[in-house]
Amino acid sequence: MAKKGMSRRGVLKSGLALAGASAAANLAVFSAAWAQQNAWKPEAGANLQLLRWKRFIQSEEDGFMRLVEAFTKATGVSVKVINESLDDVQPKASVAANTGQGPDMFWGLYSLPHLFPSKCLDVTDVANHLGKTYGGWVDSAKTYGMSGGKWIALPVAYNGNVINYRQSMIEKAGFKTVPGDTAGFLELMKALKAKSVPGGFALGRASGDGNAWVHWALWSHGANLVDENDKVIINSPETVKALEYTKALSETFISGTASWNDSFNNKAFLTGAVSLTNNGVSIYAAAKSGAAKGEANMKEVMDDMNHALWPVGPAGKPTEFHIAYPLMAMKYTKFPNACKAFMTFLMDAKNYEPWLDSAVAYLTHPLNAYDKAPVWGSDPKLALVRDVAKRTLTAGGRGSVGERAASALADFVMLDMVATVCTDRATIKDAISMAERQAKRIYR
Amino acid sequence: MSKIGQVVSTRSKGFKSAWSDNKNLIGSLFMLPAAAFLILFLVYPLGLGIWLSFTDARIGRTGVFIGLENYEWIVMDPKFHTAVFFTIFYTVVASAAKFAIGLYLAVLLNERLPFKAILRAIILIPFIVPTVLSAIAFWWIYDPQFSVVSWSLREMGWIEGNIDFLGDPWNSRWSVIFANVWRGVPFIAISLLAGLQTVPASLYEAATLDGATPWQMFVKITYPLLTPIIAVVMTFSVLFTFTDFQLIKVLTNGGPAGATELMATMSYNTAILGGRIGEGAAVSTAMVPFLLGAIMVSWFGLQRRKWQQGSSDD
Amino acid sequence: MTKNNSVSSVALEDHSEGMNYLVNLPRQTITVYIPLFLITTVLLFPFYWMTVTAIKPKAHLLDLDTHNPFWTWEPTLEHITALLFETEYPNWLWNTMFISVSATVLSLIASVFAAYAITRVRFSGANAVGGMIFLAYLVPPSILFIPLSTVVYQYGLFDTPFALILTYPTILIPFSTWLLMGYFKSIPYELEECALVDGATRWQILTRIIVPLAIPGLISASIFSLTLCWNEFIYALTFINSVENKTVPVAIVSAFTDGDQYRWGSLMAGSLVGTLPLVILYAFFVEHYVSAMTGAVKE
Repeated sequence: MAKKGMSRRGVLKSGLALAGASAAANLAVFSAAWAQQNAWKPEAGANLQLLRWKRFIQSEEDGFMRLVEAFTKATGVSVKVINESLDDVQPKASVAANTGQGPDMFWGLYSLPHLFPSKCLDVTDVANHLGKTYGGWVDSAKTYGMSGGKWIALPVAYNGNVINYRQSMIEKAGFKTVPGDTAGFLELMKALKAKSVPGGFALGRASGDGNAWVHWALWSHGANLVDENDKVIINSPETVKALEYTKALSETFISGTASWNDSFNNKAFLTGAVSLTNNGVSIYAAAKSGAAKGEANMKEVMDDMNHALWPVGPAGKPTEFHIAYPLMAMKYTKFPNACKAFMTFLMDAKNYEPWLDSAVAYLTHPLNAYDKAPVWGSDPKLALVRDVAKRTLTAGGRGSVGERAASALADFVMLDMVATVCTDRATIKDAISMAERQAKRIYR
Repeated sequence: MSKIGQVVSTRSKGFKSAWSDNKNLIGSLFMLPAAAFLILFLVYPLGLGIWLSFTDARIGRTGVFIGLENYEWIVMDPKFHTAVFFTIFYTVVASAAKFAIGLYLAVLLNERLPFKAILRAIILIPFIVPTVLSAIAFWWIYDPQFSVVSWSLREMGWIEGNIDFLGDPWNSRWSVIFANVWRGVPFIAISLLAGLQTVPASLYEAATLDGATPWQMFVKITYPLLTPIIAVVMTFSVLFTFTDFQLIKVLTNGGPAGATELMATMSYNTAILGGRIGEGAAVSTAMVPFLLGAIMVSWFGLQRRKWQQGSSDD
Repeated sequence: MTKNNSVSSVALEDHSEGMNYLVNLPRQTITVYIPLFLITTVLLFPFYWMTVTAIKPKAHLLDLDTHNPFWTWEPTLEHITALLFETEYPNWLWNTMFISVSATVLSLIASVFAAYAITRVRFSGANAVGGMIFLAYLVPPSILFIPLSTVVYQYGLFDTPFALILTYPTILIPFSTWLLMGYFKSIPYELEECALVDGATRWQILTRIIVPLAIPGLISASIFSLTLCWNEFIYALTFINSVENKTVPVAIVSAFTDGDQYRWGSLMAGSLVGTLPLVILYAFFVEHYVSAMTGAVKE
């Protein structure tokens, strides 16, 4: 029993204790009512295991655990939450799918459910119910959630990956705001480097940040891995232009980005070593919480930094790549109704909005009604991530978001292509043909 | 010795001793526990793994038999070539370095020294620290922005800026090899030290009387007598280095852009992260011929001189 | 030939000194002490780095220019207390110890029997079997783990410590067997012959004669096996899901990385504390380890 005590203690150590207490009281009342009219009555004696990616922001996890406890109170179904680091969720889910045993639900990223669509529980009924109640799903959510006409997962949240920059440093380089076009953006980066306050994007195998900026760079120049019919079209003049652009960009980076994974740019940005990078709003959240603890350098970062959307390139429209976090239930679960009940509970406004609040805009909603959620009015620096679910393109670009797109992402086909060019390990032509060969194999 | 007396006096011949005369039966019985573990948890999964390499299995669905297609693909794949090249390079260079430094260290430790016991315990620390954790420590030492090594060199005025340990392809290769050598030297040193201590001191005395220099003594006495133990230790070392996974996975994950990819990390990334189990299984099965070759070379190549010890080859 | 005069005079007078006349302090400093010092420093530096980082206040960790990275004037226990009291670290430590010790015991038993069978029982094909055991190392855990996870699940062991306790011996048995084979070979066969003549069974010979004499070898094999178990990562990562069942290497990495923020202070503290049990064990037993290896190599 000592174990349970320790984990509860951790959960309750939330800065929002006071607000949490009254919210919890409201939640309890609401939850009981919800349980009555919920369409998916959990099976008797149900208990669930949910494996999720380890939180990026402590308060988000606290909010999530509060939600879970409310669910248990409402339905009597206990939910054990297992946290794994982001890159480990896919292997664990894969092993579970392969062996037919493990957690009942997985909460992973991008196309995880599409790796094993036949092993996922059909949740079309839940999706339709939620879509009707909350103003409909955004298009990318339908793409991520559906396979073969059925919903196999619910993309319950997205994470916006945007440009993080230091206002004082871009002013030093002579810019008031981050330019909205790719050519102007390159000028900004060059100027930053000239003034010794360089920016930097990850060229290492950073599955979050690295993929985000590389796909933006390629898509914004009209370069795509596959077309709508999943035919490989990477070998094109647009790709050459895009790679020339990334090469020019990389020359303005701080040195060492080829070894960056997702955590390096956070570290570098928070210490002022880098003036501009891409990330979710977790850097801002870290600065905020550091400032709240009285750390002076964190307060400086918090006041000075801001976010910007990705510039538009020759393609003519925004080509952003944000992270989708689909929640899926496995067919082998003994309690499919309990899983569906949990999904519905999660996305119900009374639970979802407080959770979005606690995530301080790290998470964005996929249902249109939540555009009005309170979190979007809380801090002007966070307002721009409200629409990422609507703006994002999906994994696989113009092609399908299935198994093959997931494979291509996991193999870092695009990222490695850009990295080999930027680190001079291959000519543009060779890098493209290597990527083409790999893609053809994956998409055969 | 008194225990033996007790054993000898109490037993009388009977049914059991007739049984115990059957060597093969006894042998098999004694081998049973080890065999059970190895068959249940190694041989069977190995067979399964090899079978998988001939299918197009993906995570989440079983595959169909496709013959040698996976192998045809990887043989033509430049990324696979890079991985094979680096695996061999990594193994050869790291093993040679570990051997040389380990041997040197063993010779040093064999001298008369104060605090020998403590010294040996300290030497073993890199081996004791779990690889994952020392990899994380190294990761920070190699950090592109905050490396203590870069900082020290900057403070001493030797360099400007930071050293890009893990971002530049060849830098990352050497950095990773260094971390591997760091980890492996203690084991080799201690094992060779044990071997050194079996060399009778009288041999050295006799040689000195004849006027041999320390170098001559090393080459003609120490080294040949150490050959059997060297063979065993280096065989293990080569095997462990070739199949190394943790260190590279944590330090670079095969980056930058595949420069430090090993066959082991490539098979993991292909099978688990990329979801293509059949292909990943093919990559790892492809390691087996190389490993066999490495064992042949180090075991048989170094064993040749066993006769010098006066015993027959076994 | 130049050393002959001093050699003959010393050798005649003092046999027990052997070659120590050649040893004098300046010479030793250059050829032995300095290289030893350099190598030891390099070997220890990352460990020292881990220790210092574990007790540095968080604000100093990344600020290399204001705070000297090699030392800290304001040591803090915050990382270590966070480790011990805010996570399930004691659980993980216990898990790792339990799993390592159990797996070591199991593999030792199997190795003792196997080594004895190969070296003494001399059944037909013994040498071949002896060679084949090492083939076990041809199959790295990094690929076995997918088919193995299916097997582990089939036996109902998934997410239990037994998944690891039963799979680790596959990694441990080959080396332990080799070590013990060498050790057993050095035990005079005459002892067994006498016992056999007097009617002792193999079992009795093994337990009453061989094992007691081979204890240093057993200690050595145990230490090596414990280290390997403690160190193992990929099986522990795959077969164990629940937080409370995790082992230290796996748990540390996932506990202190919040997505894209690494809490370096706690990570290093975790590494430090995670290594200490083994270091203590080695400190006590390293002499046995070395002497046992000596016994093993006397083939």
